[in-house]
Amino acid sequence: MQQQTLKQFEAQCIQDEPPACQTMCPLHVEARSIAALAGQGKWNDARKLLERSMPLVSVSAYLCEGPCRDHCRRAELDEGVNLPMLERLCVMNGRAVKTMPLPPSGKKVAIAGGGLSSLAVAWELGRKGHLATIFHSGPIGGGLNWLDEKRLPREALTAALGQLSSVRVTVETHSFSKDWLNEILENFNAVYLGLDDETFTPADLGLSESQVFPDYLTMGTSLERVFAGPADSGGQGRLFINQLAGAKRAAGSIDRILQGVSAASARDMEDIYPTRLYTSLEEIEVCHEQLLADKWQPTDAEGRAEGARCIQCQCLECVKRCIFLKHYKGYPKKYGREIYNNLSVVHGQRRANTMINSCAQCGLCREICPLDADMGDFTAKARREMTATNRMPPSAHEFALEDMVYSNHPSVAFTRHAPGAGKSEWLFFPGCQLPATLPEATMSVYQHLRANLGEVGFLMSCCGAPAKWSGRPRLTGSVAGAIKTKWQEMGRPKMILACSSCALFFKEELAAIPYSTLWDVLAELPAPPSSLAAPTALALHDPCAARHDEKTRNSVRQLLKNIGQLIEELPLGGQLTRCCGYGGLASAANPEVGELYAMDRAKDTGLVMASYCAMCRDKLREVEKPSLHLLDLLFPGGSIEDAASRPAPGISDRQEARLNFRRAILSEIWNETEPSSMENLKINIDEALLPVLESRRILRSDIQDVLKEARDNGPQFFNPDSDVYLTSLRPRQVTFWVQYTMADDGSYNIHDAYCHRMVAPATPGQGADSPASLEGYAAKGGRI
Amino acid sequence: MKAEVREIKAEGWVCGKCQEPLRQLPVEITYMGSSFQVELPRCPVCGFTFIPPDLAYGKMREVEKLLEDK
Repeated sequence: MQQQTLKQFEAQCIQDEPPACQTMCPLHVEARSIAALAGQGKWNDARKLLERSMPLVSVSAYLCEGPCRDHCRRAELDEGVNLPMLERLCVMNGRAVKTMPLPPSGKKVAIAGGGLSSLAVAWELGRKGHLATIFHSGPIGGGLNWLDEKRLPREALTAALGQLSSVRVTVETHSFSKDWLNEILENFNAVYLGLDDETFTPADLGLSESQVFPDYLTMGTSLERVFAGPADSGGQGRLFINQLAGAKRAAGSIDRILQGVSAASARDMEDIYPTRLYTSLEEIEVCHEQLLADKWQPTDAEGRAEGARCIQCQCLECVKRCIFLKHYKGYPKKYGREIYNNLSVVHGQRRANTMINSCAQCGLCREICPLDADMGDFTAKARREMTATNRMPPSAHEFALEDMVYSNHPSVAFTRHAPGAGKSEWLFFPGCQLPATLPEATMSVYQHLRANLGEVGFLMSCCGAPAKWSGRPRLTGSVAGAIKTKWQEMGRPKMILACSSCALFFKEELAAIPYSTLWDVLAELPAPPSSLAAPTALALHDPCAARHDEKTRNSVRQLLKNIGQLIEELPLGGQLTRCCGYGGLASAANPEVGELYAMDRAKDTGLVMASYCAMCRDKLREVEKPSLHLLDLLFPGGSIEDAASRPAPGISDRQEARLNFRRAILSEIWNETEPSSMENLKINIDEALLPVLESRRILRSDIQDVLKEARDNGPQFFNPDSDVYLTSLRPRQVTFWVQYTMADDGSYNIHDAYCHRMVAPATPGQGADSPASLEGYAAKGGRI
Repeated sequence: MKAEVREIKAEGWVCGKCQEPLRQLPVEITYMGSSFQVELPRCPVCGFTFIPPDLAYGKMREVEKLLEDK
């Protein structure tokens, strides 16, 4: 992956951006963190943090006017967090931080004046190891001495002088003149004129006001090596915090020139700027600021309460709504970096593989994100790179792709014109999952389409979406290409797609094929006479693939209205719908996270859910959510209650159902009888073992294959004490073991079945060690 | 769903072909181009290796994951 791709993605995720209180603070004080610490009464830690950005905290903390309060998100609800009060408490209750200045640089800086800006410049330079000398003629602190004792306790100034001497700052009393300046310029490396000390003026130094008017960013004057402040000198309204910020910029410039670096370059982030961080106030309650007993003497309890009012601004909008993003305890920017690093690993473990394969690529994060960051797009890129560099763990998608290959095998897939018709005006494409879970309704809807539209052909296969989700463009292209060929052979009819994932896949990969979704077509036809409405409202769940298919979403609502079905819209529905976990093969690669998606979605409503995607319906049902498919209402096979509680079929059931569907529909509609292709041994599997086999992804056909091996070549192991047999077979990149006993009638009682991917020598079967390419597997027609 | 893994002890099993009791013997198992020398119950005559479910879903699964993520 190009670093540029990562940078672009990272720039879209704003979670790491500092909040407005910090970006709009002239000193960029980390107000959010300080408030959090204050909320816990951790004044030592809070003070330490304050000292990182505020010069000479022992005096400055009393002076800050708190311009951040106007930019605080809380100000939109009640009052901005009172940071000046918290800063005051940091100094009152927090231990002073012992500052270790850098080793002496040997550079000398003269500072004229004893006002606040001069003290702050001296502090900043002293910390950096420069030898700063303050020359003053009036009292140290200048105008600060006139402040009310309550506003600024006098001992604060004493403490500030202590802080200054700890960084080797010296203080000398001196009167100012032109000669003094010349002498200073000769003996010192740089000069700062602190004009907030009103005991001298530029004229005293033989300079005009304009000569010493400082540049805003660098605080430099028209004279070389001479800097001046404060920042917004003159006027009654000048803020101490701006003076401090100006002093910090001046000290920064002086430090730069002392090191021979440009004073002006790359400093734009030092000024205030609006934040890009988005923070929702949706669940924030009003909480007014407490009236303080004594404004100048806040108490610990008052400070804690005020700190706790901070809402700790952050974005996390996508994380709040996506269980996958939540599960890995980060946010897109962090994941982007992890994924990039994962792809760059040369030696060592690629720890983010499972995370990359657990994204449903459903597009919800992009819909929510203020800057359209799309984890699905990013993980899709990562998966393509993983397959291209042969770094995709074989176990992640192989099973799902084998299922796809099965669906497209000539003994399962088929194409027919309507009986008696030599051509097709329409071609119905139910997809791979609908016939596997609702075979009767699939047949009924086809009959309904024929009755109303005439020449409707039938194409049964998988669209190829699993190949795309797994990050295999070549396989995707070959499956899509096969569909295109069949469509051409059928005379290029308009296709009717029952599955939203198929529709999205056609839109992206088969743009030449015109299609309508089944729901768009049905909404235009008279309602099927068999239609039923549930007696109570159903919560309508839109599949994530229909997120941008407004037409289909509207057609579904129209259809439900036509049959008199009441529905309730979910808060995260329509364009903001959530994924069931099947999308992006998330549940295939990571069954645990896959289940979390469905459980999270099921929690969105107490009502029975209705969907128009077979997998959404089944995934919700797998987590015990009563749920229906739209066809359960249009072509019911029994009561609605029964349909809502019908278990989701297992993987073996689905494969067998596809084969049976083909046989049934060919016989019923085309009058074609197919010989039963499979020679099956009679096996008995205990009910309790079925879910175990399902979770291990062992199909009944796998067990059959192992037993045939045992029958033909003898069982591999036998336990004479219990009469139990154990045999293995490696038909592909997995070795299957079956433990069984023989029943009296010659059938097989299955006790256990398990599988692994590692290879022990001499295991019978075709499966090699390293995974053969699935393309090759598909070309051979796969296992069947 | 996490399925419970039933243990199968190698004691008492014999090779289906040779009828020999199994013995702990060295064997080389491989995955994704890496191979490991381990001791597993095998038929001392034909060398067929016995892999119980607790090994398949325990150590083997761990190593498979490590190799797949390498």
